[in-house]
Amino acid sequence: MEEHKQYLSDDADETERRAAELVMEGLAGLRLEAKVAQVAAERAAFYRRRFWRRVFFAGGALTLLASAVYFFLGKKAMPAPSPPIEQPKDPSILRPNPVPSADKKSSSEPIAQLRPDERLPPTRDTAPGLDMIRGDAAADKKTKHLLDQVWYTDYPLKGLRTGDAFAKADELLKKRDFEAAYLELEDLEGQFSQNDTLRYLWGYCLLELGAGEEALEYFNALQGRHKDWEAQLQWYRGLALLLVRERAKALALFRQLAAQPKHPYRRQAEKAVRVFDF
Amino acid sequence: MRIPEWLSPSNPCRQFGDNERLFEALKKLDNMAILCVQTKAMPSARKFAQQYGLPPHAADEVLNRGTLVFLRKIETGAYRFQGHAPSSYLVEIVRREALMMTRSQRKSHEALDNHHDLHDPDEAADQRQRESVELVRQFLAQMGEPCETVIRLYHLDGYSDEEVVRQGWTRYSTTDSLKIKRSDCMKKLIQIAQKWKSTNSI
Repeated sequence: MEEHKQYLSDDADETERRAAELVMEGLAGLRLEAKVAQVAAERAAFYRRRFWRRVFFAGGALTLLASAVYFFLGKKAMPAPSPPIEQPKDPSILRPNPVPSADKKSSSEPIAQLRPDERLPPTRDTAPGLDMIRGDAAADKKTKHLLDQVWYTDYPLKGLRTGDAFAKADELLKKRDFEAAYLELEDLEGQFSQNDTLRYLWGYCLLELGAGEEALEYFNALQGRHKDWEAQLQWYRGLALLLVRERAKALALFRQLAAQPKHPYRRQAEKAVRVFDF
Repeated sequence: MRIPEWLSPSNPCRQFGDNERLFEALKKLDNMAILCVQTKAMPSARKFAQQYGLPPHAADEVLNRGTLVFLRKIETGAYRFQGHAPSSYLVEIVRREALMMTRSQRKSHEALDNHHDLHDPDEAADQRQRESVELVRQFLAQMGEPCETVIRLYHLDGYSDEEVVRQGWTRYSTTDSLKIKRSDCMKKLIQIAQKWKSTNSI
């Protein structure tokens, strides 16, 4: 800064000198004030930045924690989805799943049927691909995604008692090895062509393989014939209708089920209506 | 600001390795150095504001006032580096400012006479300097343009004549013409101050 003396006149008296000192002191104070105001603005920005950074990192940490909890609890709550099945052109040459999940072996407790007060869990298994059996090139990804949300299927089938003749097929279906079960059911077809148990097993197996149309034929044939099977059969018919893209019919059926307070698939049906009513 | 900068942990004190370097930077009125001591003193400012019953937003005001006094003391040489952390001295000043603020608020609430306690020599000096600042602010406003800008750019904002000419912030296109004008303006400013002093018999 310049010295104030250079601004004084040659014959400056005491008053002028004191006035110059006052001016220089005031200017120095103003300069400091300007500096403090400038730093105050920087400080506000600094705290703002630090606040949002903390929010950002806290959010990230919470997300990580939530993911870890979800991953840990989610794994406990439901077994991993079955590995994707290769797309066979001909059902007769279906190959068995390479590695049936060990979790699935032990998951014999049905989750699809709920008590009226029970909370609806997420689906345990994913729906089959829509092109799995039919060989459609353009798989409907959106429908598949929606189907995954409502794919509440169980085995053993409710009310079904399988005799020794069906023991192998029963075992394979329990393991969710549907391709092998398919071949086994084909073998049984010659012996028990008119057997309702076989029809039901066929229907379920085809449903899980994504062959909605064929599954529907079996389910339709069984409709009203066995009271114990009826509730589950209705639900599976709905799923089969969705597989064949008969959404309107499926919705009508789900609405019927949802309207029955004691129906064991009421909650699933309500969810299906929510998911597919667009 | 770029995302990596935003994400990286910021510490305004990081660039000053020790207290001495920080003090030297404060003498030069380095913004980062001021921010460094302020961030260190801020928790104390908040605590004092709460302790003395000041409103929550007063912590900022107290810190700004304290910083002003702190820098003034460095500039005048009243505070010299003796090995201690400069921020601890700022905290002391901030505590005093918080007390003064409490006292002035109480006085205004109780509608007492506006008498200043000048027993504290520091407080008296601060008060005198505050008055000088107010007067010079008035005098500058009285002078009007271009003197106000010419003086402000050099004496308040700290821009060099070369920068002012390069940026074209005034009508003066050479540093010489700018210096001559500033000299005239300063003489006028001193005359105004002298006039004010004689009028007010100070």
